[in-house]
Amino acid sequence: MEAQIFKALGDPLRLKIVKRLSHGSDYTITTLTKDLGISRQGARKQLQVLATAKVLRLKPVGREVNVILNPAALESCRRFIISLEQQWDTRLNALKDVVERG
Amino acid sequence: MQEIIQREVTIKATKEKVYDAITNPEKVVLWFPDTIEGEYVVGEQPVLGFGKDGRTQIYVVAAKPYDYFSYRWVPGSEHFIGDVTTVATTLVEFAIEEKDGVCKVTLTESGFAALAPELAEKAFGQNSGGWDFMLGRLGKYFGQE
Repeated sequence: MEAQIFKALGDPLRLKIVKRLSHGSDYTITTLTKDLGISRQGARKQLQVLATAKVLRLKPVGREVNVILNPAALESCRRFIISLEQQWDTRLNALKDVVERG
Repeated sequence: MQEIIQREVTIKATKEKVYDAITNPEKVVLWFPDTIEGEYVVGEQPVLGFGKDGRTQIYVVAAKPYDYFSYRWVPGSEHFIGDVTTVATTLVEFAIEEKDGVCKVTLTESGFAALAPELAEKAFGQNSGGWDFMLGRLGKYFGQE
C-alpha cells in the first residue's frame, strides 16, 4: 500500500495535481486539473491512479466530481519510511557480515 | 525540515574491502539484491532483482574509490522498471570513513520531501484537525531523526 502511494506520487504530473490539491479544499476535477495541459479524460486517468493508492477520494456531486485529499496517506508514508530504515539496517548488517567473513 | 534516512554500521575491514563490497556486483549480490542486470557503473541504469519481490531499476550517480557510492531509485517500489531519471526518486548514498582499520559506513537516503512530506508542508495551515495531527507527527519524526 505504502509503495503504491509513493509510486502514485512518483510521477511529476500526479505530484503536481496532489500539491495543488493540498493548497485548498473545494476542488472538482475541472478546477483541480485546469491549465495542466491534459484532456479531461487524461486528468481522470491520473486521478484514478491517485484514488486507487488512496491518496485522494473522488466523490460525484451532480454533474461534477469533488476531489478530496486523504491525510491518512501521509501516516502510511511515515510508517513506510520507518520500514525503509529497518530494511537498511538489515542490509547494512548483511554487508558487515559479508566483508568481515570474506 | 530534514527529510532523510540515515543509518550507520561499523565494519572491521579496510575501506578498499568495504568499497569493493558496495560497488563490485559480484559482492553486492551477497548482501543486497539477488541479481544485478546491466552495468553497475556511473551513468548506467542497471536492474536490481529481489527474487519474488520483484525487480527495480536504478540510476548510478557517483562512485569515488574508496569513499563514496550513490544511486537514485524509486523508494520502496521494488517493481519500478523504466527511465529512472524521468520520475521522482530518492538519492541513496554510501559514505565510507576508515579509522584504525575500522570503517564506518553511513547510509543516507534523501529526497522524500519531493514526495509526500512536501505535501505536508504545503498543507500546513489548512484548517483541518486531521492534517494538523498528521503534520505534528511527521514534523516530529523528520525534525528529530
